[in-house]
Amino acid sequence: MPNKVCVLGAGSTKYGKLNEGIIEIALKASIDAIDSAGITPKDIQAGYISNVFGVTDRQVHMAPVIMSNLGVPEVPGLTIESACGSGSIMFREAYANVAAGFYDCILGLGVEKITHTGTIQSTTLFSYCSDFFYEGGNGASFPGLFASIARSYMAKYKASEEDLARVAVKNHENGILNPKAHVRKKITIDDVLKSPVVASPLKLYDCCPFSDGASAIILCSEDFAKKSGRPFIEVIGSGRGASPAAVQGRDDITTIPSTVAAANQAYKMAGITAKDIDFAEVHDCFTIAELIDIEDLGFFKKGAGANAVREGATSRDGEIPINPSGGLKSKGHPIGATGIGQVVEVFEQLTGKAEQRTVRDAEVALTHNFGATGASAAVHIFKRVQ
Amino acid sequence: MELSKTRQQEQDSNPREKFIMAARRHKILSNKCSRCGHLMLVTVYYCEKCFNHKFEINELEGTGKVVTYTIQAVAPEGFEDAGSYAWVVFSVDGTDFNASGFLPGVTSASDLPLGSRVRVLDYHPKHGLTLQKV
Repeated sequence: MPNKVCVLGAGSTKYGKLNEGIIEIALKASIDAIDSAGITPKDIQAGYISNVFGVTDRQVHMAPVIMSNLGVPEVPGLTIESACGSGSIMFREAYANVAAGFYDCILGLGVEKITHTGTIQSTTLFSYCSDFFYEGGNGASFPGLFASIARSYMAKYKASEEDLARVAVKNHENGILNPKAHVRKKITIDDVLKSPVVASPLKLYDCCPFSDGASAIILCSEDFAKKSGRPFIEVIGSGRGASPAAVQGRDDITTIPSTVAAANQAYKMAGITAKDIDFAEVHDCFTIAELIDIEDLGFFKKGAGANAVREGATSRDGEIPINPSGGLKSKGHPIGATGIGQVVEVFEQLTGKAEQRTVRDAEVALTHNFGATGASAAVHIFKRVQ
Repeated sequence: MELSKTRQQEQDSNPREKFIMAARRHKILSNKCSRCGHLMLVTVYYCEKCFNHKFEINELEGTGKVVTYTIQAVAPEGFEDAGSYAWVVFSVDGTDFNASGFLPGVTSASDLPLGSRVRVLDYHPKHGLTLQKV
C-alpha cells in the first residue's frame, strides 16, 4: 500500500492577461502555497513544475530558477509537460514520489504565460499539442478538434447548440464568485449563440480563454501534515489514462478513453464510485468537453449530460456541482497551471476557504484534467480531513 | 523510367514520407500485418492487434465517407490564405480506420452533410493531406 499523501497548502495568482513575467507569476503562487501550509522553503525536498510554453517567455528548465529564487538552490526539481494536462500529470508524479516515501514535502507548481503571443500565434502553438501530422498540419486548431468532437456528439445524441451554451452560462455564473477568475461576466444562452464562430459548431463563448497564471500546492506525507497542526486534505484516489493521440484513431469520438481509464483507477483506489463524489472540477476547455467529461466520469449515462445540465444537476446547488470555480471556461486556462488550479479549488472548498462559491457539506471531491483532446488524462479524488 | 525512380524513392523513405508520396497519387497507404492481416495506417510501426512489425504495403483508393468535421473560422498560421475550409475525419473505404485532412471550399454545414464522400486530392506543402468532395 502506498503511504498516505496530503495537500497541506495551496495558492494561486489571478488568471488572465498578466503583466509580470513567467518567473514572477510562478514565484507569487509558490509563496502563497508555502504561506498557506505554514512552512518555509527549507521544508521543501523537491520542486515539481508543470509548464508548456515557457520558451515563449524565454525560460525553460524552470525548476532550478524557481528553487534558486525561493532561496533553496540545492533542492532538486523538474518540469513536466503534457499539454493542457500538464498540471494534473505533474501532480500524479509528485503524489507517487510522496506515496513511495522518496519525499515528505514537495512544492507542486503549475505556470503558464501565453497571452503575450497573441491569438493567432497562441492558436498555432496550441495546435502543436495535437498529433500534428494528421491534425494541426492539416489545418485543425484546438477549437476545431473539439468542434469535430461536438459535431459527432450532437449527431449521435441529438444535442443542440443551446445544450452546449448552457455549460458556458453555468460556469460563468460560478466564475463571477471567484475573485481569481479570468472572465467574471454573466452571460446568457443568447450571448453564446450570437458570439462569433471560432470553429463550427463552436462559438467564442463555447471556448475557454487563453490565460496567464500560476497555481501551487504543498504535497506531503500524512505525518508531515499532522505535525503542522494546520487544516489539510487527503488524496484518496489517483488515476492516469491515455487515448489515441489523434481523434481519427478513436473508435468512438464521443468518449475520451483516457478519462474513463483514469477515473476507474481513481475510484477503485479510493474504494468509492461516482455517486460518492460531492463536487468535481473537470476539464471544460470547450463546452462540449464538459458534457463528455461528466458522462465519462460516471456522473451521468452516455448521452445524458446535456439533459443533466438543462435540469440544473451540475449547478452549484445541484445533484453533482461541476466546476464551482468557474472551470477553464470562466476561471481561465493557463495550461501548465490548470490541473494544479483545480487542486487549489478543492483545497479551498474542503478547508472552508471558498467563501461565496462554497459547495455545502462537501466531503469528497474529484479533479479531472487532460492534455490535447484527451490523449493523456489524470483523475484525483480528495477527502476532507477532520 | 521516371515513375519507377519516384516509386523507388517512395519505397526507400520513412513511413510518413511514404504516406505523403502516396497521397500525391490520390492514395492512402496502409500496412497489412503479415501475421494477423490487420490493416492500419502506414505510419503505425507495430500491429495494433498482435504487435508484429512485419507488414505488406497495401495501397488503398484514397476515398471515404465523412465521419465528422469542423469549418475553421479562426485558422492557425499557414492557413490564413486557405479561404473557408473544413478539417475532416473520414472513414477510409475498405478499412475499419479513419484518416483526416484539409477540405477547401466548405463554407457552411449544408455543404458537407455527415456521410458525404471525399477523396484524396494531393498532399499540399502548406496544408497537408488535401481532400475534395466526390
